[in-house]
Amino acid sequence: MAGYVIQRCLQAVVVMFVMSVIVFVGVYAVGNPMDVLIPLDATQDVRELIIARFGLDRPLWEQYLVFVGNVAQGDFGRSFVYAIPVLDLIASRLPATLELTLAAVFGATFIGVPLGIWAGYRPDALSSKTIMGLSILGFSVPTFWVGLILILTFAVSLGWLPAGGRGPTVTVLGVEWSFLTPEGLSHLLLPAVNLALFKLAMMIRLARAGTREVLLTDTIKFARAAGLTEGTIVMRHVLKLIAVPIVTVFGLELGSTLAFAVVTETIFSWPGLGKLIIDSITSLDRPVMVAYLILVALLFVTINLVIDLTYAALDPRISRGAAS
Amino acid sequence: MTLVKMLRAGAFAVALGVAATGATIATASAQTLTVGVRGGPESMDPHYSALGVHADAMKHIFDTLVWSGDNLQIEPGLAESWKPLDDTTWEFKLRKGVKFHDGSDFTAEDVKFSIERIPVVTGPTTLLIYVRRVKEVVIVDPHTVHMKTDGPAATLPNDFVRLFIVSHKAAAAYSTKETAPDGFNSGKATIGTGPYKYVSWEPKGDLVLARNDGYWRGKGPWEKVVRKEMPNDSSRLAALKAGQVDLVNYVSSADWQALKRDPKIDTFLADSVYVMNLQLDQREQTPKVYDLDGKPLAKNPLRDPKVREALDLAIDRQTMVEVVLEGLGTPNNQLMPKGFFGWSAKVPARSPDPKKGKALLAEAGYPNGFQMDLYCTSDRLPGDGAICQGLGQMFAQIGIKTNVNAISRSVYFPAQAKKEYSIFMNGWGTLTGEASYTLGSMAHSPAPELKLGAFNRIEYSNPKVDELLQAAGRELDDAKRKALYEQAMDLIMADRAYISIVTLQTVWAADKGKLRMSPRNDEDTLAFFITPAK
Repeated sequence: MAGYVIQRCLQAVVVMFVMSVIVFVGVYAVGNPMDVLIPLDATQDVRELIIARFGLDRPLWEQYLVFVGNVAQGDFGRSFVYAIPVLDLIASRLPATLELTLAAVFGATFIGVPLGIWAGYRPDALSSKTIMGLSILGFSVPTFWVGLILILTFAVSLGWLPAGGRGPTVTVLGVEWSFLTPEGLSHLLLPAVNLALFKLAMMIRLARAGTREVLLTDTIKFARAAGLTEGTIVMRHVLKLIAVPIVTVFGLELGSTLAFAVVTETIFSWPGLGKLIIDSITSLDRPVMVAYLILVALLFVTINLVIDLTYAALDPRISRGAAS
Repeated sequence: MTLVKMLRAGAFAVALGVAATGATIATASAQTLTVGVRGGPESMDPHYSALGVHADAMKHIFDTLVWSGDNLQIEPGLAESWKPLDDTTWEFKLRKGVKFHDGSDFTAEDVKFSIERIPVVTGPTTLLIYVRRVKEVVIVDPHTVHMKTDGPAATLPNDFVRLFIVSHKAAAAYSTKETAPDGFNSGKATIGTGPYKYVSWEPKGDLVLARNDGYWRGKGPWEKVVRKEMPNDSSRLAALKAGQVDLVNYVSSADWQALKRDPKIDTFLADSVYVMNLQLDQREQTPKVYDLDGKPLAKNPLRDPKVREALDLAIDRQTMVEVVLEGLGTPNNQLMPKGFFGWSAKVPARSPDPKKGKALLAEAGYPNGFQMDLYCTSDRLPGDGAICQGLGQMFAQIGIKTNVNAISRSVYFPAQAKKEYSIFMNGWGTLTGEASYTLGSMAHSPAPELKLGAFNRIEYSNPKVDELLQAAGRELDDAKRKALYEQAMDLIMADRAYISIVTLQTVWAADKGKLRMSPRNDEDTLAFFITPAK
């Protein structure tokens, strides 16, 4: 197992390295970031001065080597736009995205899986058909539209919930969280629901399909023959047997939502990472783009590793297969 | 909050187990002004960025040496008066009795410190252009400074509308590239003379300010000001309608149409400083113009005055304003909005005449037209992408096959700087309110040694215009300088290498009857000048 983890970590380093090269070359191909940032009316001498100050007059490979050298010392550089260290910038936005994402993904899972199991367990019941019908809506209606409708309904017309922003925060362990106050929660609710809808639909469908398949297997037949109650069968056997695909999707969704919750964050003015990265792209703020994408690569590799370890715990056959 | 609303809120809170949502949504007391702004500052250091949204936020905390009024006319700020002593010296008399937020006195030392600090700490969106003419700052007495310039600098007071004054004591330790962001973002050096004191700020988040009771203009109307950054136009408006903010800026043209009929909303409209200009490459060879089969043309048709006039005649500015911008703009025929210093009444009004345009094209040797790629920004100013599409259709009507490319500014500006385009459109804001800024950058032939023509990306060159602009730059008499710029403007617009299309307008929206504001041309939303209606 240790060898497996080490191998994964090495893969992560390679992925992150490739990522940094792609971003560097990509931004270079688009153009000099300074052409976007320097005021249009700047004279040539001012322009050259600024370009030299940011080291952008040097050849690309040299800029890249300087960057790698700094990263090796833990310094990702400073944002062109904000002049503050990139890691500070990302760290200041991470808690907001983290709590939004966790609320959405966990919410979707804890509501979606039981609904899905029910729909698979009683496929012909009216309640199941309603659940499945609604899940199609969750799939097919675009996020930005749902977001605006939620704002219009609950914030503008009814006035129950705030239209956006993050609300007051409480500092715990040096990090600012908003879900610990009632007002913070009220700010969190709409964006979390907006972000969760698609995932909810997916979880319902996954759980239903898995349950229907598992119910037909010999395991369940024998369990019933052995006189186990239906509750025990569902909780102990069905849930465990459908867990592997759900955990996979859960992990991937968690990663992609953390990295790219941008639509919801923009609509709800949520001060998270998604907005940061989009702004960085439009202003060609290369240090932020590079650092962010490298960290996202790291995040995905980590999540995949955790998923693989979870598989082994859920289904011992998988780890045995890897060993042989 | 009405009783019904409160009951509903209460029921909902119980239903969801969320307590007290209702009470928190209501806008805070009348003593707080909460503004939803599209863009916020990039730092708390006023010398870091020259961006309009940056200056907008900074004007709450810091004062500028020279103030620019609602229509960008220059007025006394921290300097009470100024006059040129000779060709290379300006004397500024400073206001007495002004105090910084920490109680220390504002003196000439702070002015000198601020000017000398800018070249060290300024970021890529550089403020250097506003102090580049200053060679030396001489302190004569605590309330008099002499600015030595590198030549006659007639517009120095105009440049100083973006010269924010920081405290030379508070900022002393935070004036290198590395220390400045930390010192200012933490509030340690964020000590100004402005109407509001710094409380807190987060990049892309909220800027919170508290009133400075000792402000020299008098006490501001709001005890507390919160500026929330909300980049999405619909969300910002929704926050206003939900009562989360009191005022929003940059209402989109589509929303504006609906808001005009909304009895619960007040709107405020102002001409912006931005004019949309079509720019036609004047080089011998140009890359993006082709014959009808897509093959390069032997010579650049855009150098032919008849072709340029034909393009101008194809543009229906009234339709552009009414249809494309939904009324949120005014047709324009020159590089600056009406009434700015150097705006010329003599430039003839432009009216569309596609038939004559077609005839002119035929005379120029293109009876069947030609083909060209038109490039514009699509994400910089309201309506830029849509105007681009409109232009494409109008050019097609006179037989010029136009491939419209409305693209992100992050691609557009680097390519435009490399002169990869032949015909392109972007907005230009006359931020200082006078012509030297706009004409000097765009219409003078590229001349780095004179620091002129920096944004002349079409290599437009008219020796007569160059002469007029240089003469105006040396002329310290306002009336004479104005006449020179007007003459230059007449010539430039007659040449039609720059074809101005519309002046954009900006809209603010607030709850009905809540507040009064006089909208500013530079689009700033300054809390000090916004007063409660009651």
